[in-house]
Amino acid sequence: MSEAVVELSNVWKVFGKKAQQTVEAANTGELTKAQALEEYDSVIGVRDASFSVARGEIFCIMGLSGSGKSTLVRHVNRLIEPTAGTIKVLGQDVSAMGAKELRQMRSHHIGMVFQHMALLPHRSVRDNVAYPLEIRNVPKSKRWAISDHTLGLVNLEGYEDRLPRELSGGMQQRVGIARALASDPEILLMDEPFSALDPLIRLQLQDQFSALVSELKKTTLFITHDLDEAIRMGHRIAIMKDGVIVQIGTPEEIVTKPADDYVREFVQGISRLKLVKAHTIMEPLNGVDVAALNGALRADGDTDLDALIDLSVDSAHPVVVTDDGRDVGLISKATLLRGIQGGK
Amino acid sequence: MADEVLHANVAARPAAPAVADIEVDRAELDASIANFVQQNAGYYQRIFHKIHDNTSGIPLTFNKAAALLGPLWAAARGVWGLFWGFLILEIIAWVQIGRGTWGELGAESLQQAVRQETRAQQFLERAEAARAAGEDPSRFETLGNNLMRAAERSREAADAAAADALMILASGLILLLILRVAQGIWSNIAYEKQYSDWRVTPERVPSGVNRLNTLFGAVLVVAVMPLTVYRFTVENVPDYLTAFPANSDYYTNTARWLEGQIDSAASAGAGTFDGIVFGVRSILDTVSLALIGTPWPVVMTVICVIAWRSAGPRVAIFTAAALAYIAFLGYWEIAMETVALVGAAVVLCVIIGIPLGIWFGKSMRAYKLAEPVLDLMQTLPAFVYLIPIIAFFGTGNPPGILATIIFGMPPVIRLTALGVRGVPDTIKEAASAFGASNWQILRDVEIPLALPSIMTGVNQTILMCLSMVVIISLIGGGGLGQVILEALQFAAKGPGLLGGFAILFVAMVIDRIVQGAFRRADLKR
Repeated sequence: MSEAVVELSNVWKVFGKKAQQTVEAANTGELTKAQALEEYDSVIGVRDASFSVARGEIFCIMGLSGSGKSTLVRHVNRLIEPTAGTIKVLGQDVSAMGAKELRQMRSHHIGMVFQHMALLPHRSVRDNVAYPLEIRNVPKSKRWAISDHTLGLVNLEGYEDRLPRELSGGMQQRVGIARALASDPEILLMDEPFSALDPLIRLQLQDQFSALVSELKKTTLFITHDLDEAIRMGHRIAIMKDGVIVQIGTPEEIVTKPADDYVREFVQGISRLKLVKAHTIMEPLNGVDVAALNGALRADGDTDLDALIDLSVDSAHPVVVTDDGRDVGLISKATLLRGIQGGK
Repeated sequence: MADEVLHANVAARPAAPAVADIEVDRAELDASIANFVQQNAGYYQRIFHKIHDNTSGIPLTFNKAAALLGPLWAAARGVWGLFWGFLILEIIAWVQIGRGTWGELGAESLQQAVRQETRAQQFLERAEAARAAGEDPSRFETLGNNLMRAAERSREAADAAAADALMILASGLILLLILRVAQGIWSNIAYEKQYSDWRVTPERVPSGVNRLNTLFGAVLVVAVMPLTVYRFTVENVPDYLTAFPANSDYYTNTARWLEGQIDSAASAGAGTFDGIVFGVRSILDTVSLALIGTPWPVVMTVICVIAWRSAGPRVAIFTAAALAYIAFLGYWEIAMETVALVGAAVVLCVIIGIPLGIWFGKSMRAYKLAEPVLDLMQTLPAFVYLIPIIAFFGTGNPPGILATIIFGMPPVIRLTALGVRGVPDTIKEAASAFGASNWQILRDVEIPLALPSIMTGVNQTILMCLSMVVIISLIGGGGLGQVILEALQFAAKGPGLLGGFAILFVAMVIDRIVQGAFRRADLKR
C-alpha cells in the first residue's frame, strides 16, 4: 500500500472535566460507557481509534448517530482536540501544531464538506467557493478564476452569481463540495455530505463525487450512516459503534466476514451481487478433471456474482475459476445460489 | 418478503382490542393516587376516577373537608394557588360580616345628631333670653329650628345605617357560603390537576398532608384575617396599624451620606468627567455644524434625497411635507439641533454598543454580569439619573446626550449579542475548518450573519434616543424639547401642540428613513 496520508493511532476523545483520568482508567482496565458517566462524569466520544488512510483512497466511516464518527473525523483537522493519541496528517503531527501552523494546514491541505452545507448565506455561490482562498489572501482575480473552474467540476456553471438559498439542496451541497475543492487540498473530509438529500439526488451525487475524486486523486474520509453509501463509495470501510471502531475492511470483507453480530445485522440487507467475488465462494478443484468439463466457461477470480450469474445461466456446466490462467476452483449453480444467499 | 415479516410480527402479539374497549390500569392508577394523597386514599381514588371519567363541562364533586375548612384544607394539601385565591376572597366576606356585627355603622351620624341638637338647644336658649330682654328672637328661633331638623335627618341616617348593618352582615354570610361551596366543588378539580403535575415532577409538587404546610397556612390565616377584619370594622384604629412606624432619621442620614459620596466622587474625578464632556461636545459640535451651518436649502434637499433613495418616493413626499411644517413654523434651527443631539447620541451608542454586544454575544459570563446593568439602564426612570448626571457633568447639551445614551444603548447591545449568539455553529465551524482565524470568523461570518439583528437594535436605539428629547431639556438640553418644556411651564396649549408635532415629525422621518435603508439592505441579502 502506498504512503499513509492520514494516520490516527490510539485516539481517545472524552468529554468531561475528568477526561484524562477516564482515559487512564479505561486503559488500565475495563470501563464501560455507563461506568465512565457514573464514576468520572464524562462521556466517551471516541475510544482508542486507530487507522490510516492511503493516498487516493476513499475511506468510509460508517456508524449510526451518536457512534462518534463525526467526532472522530474532526480530529483530523483538529476542530476537536483529542484527549489522548496522535494524529498525523501528511506526516505531520497535528496535535503538536501551533495555531498558525494549524490554520495553514487547514487552508492548504484539508477541505471539508458538511451535512448541513454551512454555506455563507450572504455571499454569492462564487464567493462561497472562493472563501477558503480568501482566507489565504489569494487575490480576487485568481480567486474568482479558481472558483469558476471548481464550480465547473461540479457542473454548476451559470450559477456563480446566485445566492445559496436560490439553489436546491443537492446544488447547495455541490457548492459545498466545490468549496472544499477550491484550495486544491490533498485531503477531503466529508461529514455525512449526502444525508440530508433525497435518495435519487443522493445516488447521482455519490456517482459524481466518486468519479471526481478518483479523477482528482483526493484522499477522502467519508462519513455516513448509510452502509449502502459506504459500500458504493468506499475502498475501505470502518464501522463504528459507541465510539469504538468495530471493524475495518474492504466492502467485500465487511459483507462476507462481519466481525461481530452488530456488523452482521447491518450487512444483512446488503446486496452481495456486486461485492462478493468468485474466489470467495468457489470450491476447490479437489482433483476434478477440468478438461472433462467440455465447454465449461471460465471466469477470473475477481469476477463478481452478478457476472457469474450471467455466465452460468445458459451453461450446463459449472464455471471454472482461473487465476493467472491456471484453473483454481469451480462454481456450480448450487454454490452460486448459496453464495448469493450468503452461505448456509 | 417484507410482508411475511410484517405478518410474523403481528401474529406474535395478542390481537389488539378495539379502541373503545381499552381500559386504564386501575390498580396502578389507584396505587399512584394513594401514594400522592397519602391520607383518605379511598375517597380521592373515587373522586379522581369520577373526574377522569367526566365527559362534559366541570366535573361536579363536593369535597366536604375543603368546604368546611376553607383555605386551611388547601394549605394542608399544598394547593397554594387555591389557598391564596380563596383566602383573599374570604377576607372580603369576613370583613363584611365583621362590619355587620361589630361595626357601629350609624355612629358618626348619631354623634352629629347629638352635636346638632346641643347647638339647636343653645340657639333656642338664646332666643328665650332675647325674648326676655324684649328683643326680636326670630333669628335665633329659625337657626335653632333648622338645626333641630338637621339633627332629625342625621338620626334618620343613623337608623338607616344601623339597618344597613344587617344587610351587610347578610351579604357577608352569603358570600362566605358561596365561597365555601365553590371551594368544595373546585378543590377536587384543583387537587386532581396537582396530582397530574405531581406525576411529572414529583420532587417539586407537594403531595399528601404536610404538617408544616398546615401550620404555615394556619399562621397565615391567623395573621392576615383578624387584623384585616379589625382594621375595617373598628372606628378608631391604633396608629401603628395604619401607618408603618418609619424613622425619619434613617432617611436623612442615608440621603446625606449619598450626597457626600457623590460630591466627593464628582470633585475627585472632575478631570475625567470634563474630558468626557469635552469629547461629547466636540462630536455634537461637528454634527450640528453640518446640520445648522450648511444652508437650509442644501440640508433639506439632502434629507429629501436620502429619504427617496432609501425608502422610496412616498416617504420622500412625507419627508418634504414634514420639513415644510418645521420650516414654516420657524422650528428649523432648533429641529436641526434636536437631530444633532439625537444623532450624536446614536453615533456614540453604536460605537460603544456594537463592540460590547459582540463581546456579550461571545461570552455568556460577561453577558450574565452585564444584564442587570442593562436592565437598570432601561428601567430606571430617566429623572432619577438626571440628578447624578448634573452632579458629574453639569448641565447643557453634552450631559443631555450622556443621559440619552444611558437610556438608548441597551437595545443595540442586547440585539447585537442576540444576533451574534444566533449565528449557527455549523457555519462558524466550516469557516474555521477552512483555516479562518477568530478575527476572520468575526468579520466574515458572525457580523454579516448577525447584521439584521444589529440593524434592528440600531433602529430601536434611535427611537429610544428620540424619546429622551423632551426629558433632557430638564437639564438644559436644547432643541425642540425646550419648546415643550417652556410650553409646559406656562401651560401654553398652542405652542406645546405645535412643538409636539414637530418632534413627532422629526421622529417619523428618521424612523422611516432608517427602516427603509435597513429593508433595502435586508433585501440585498
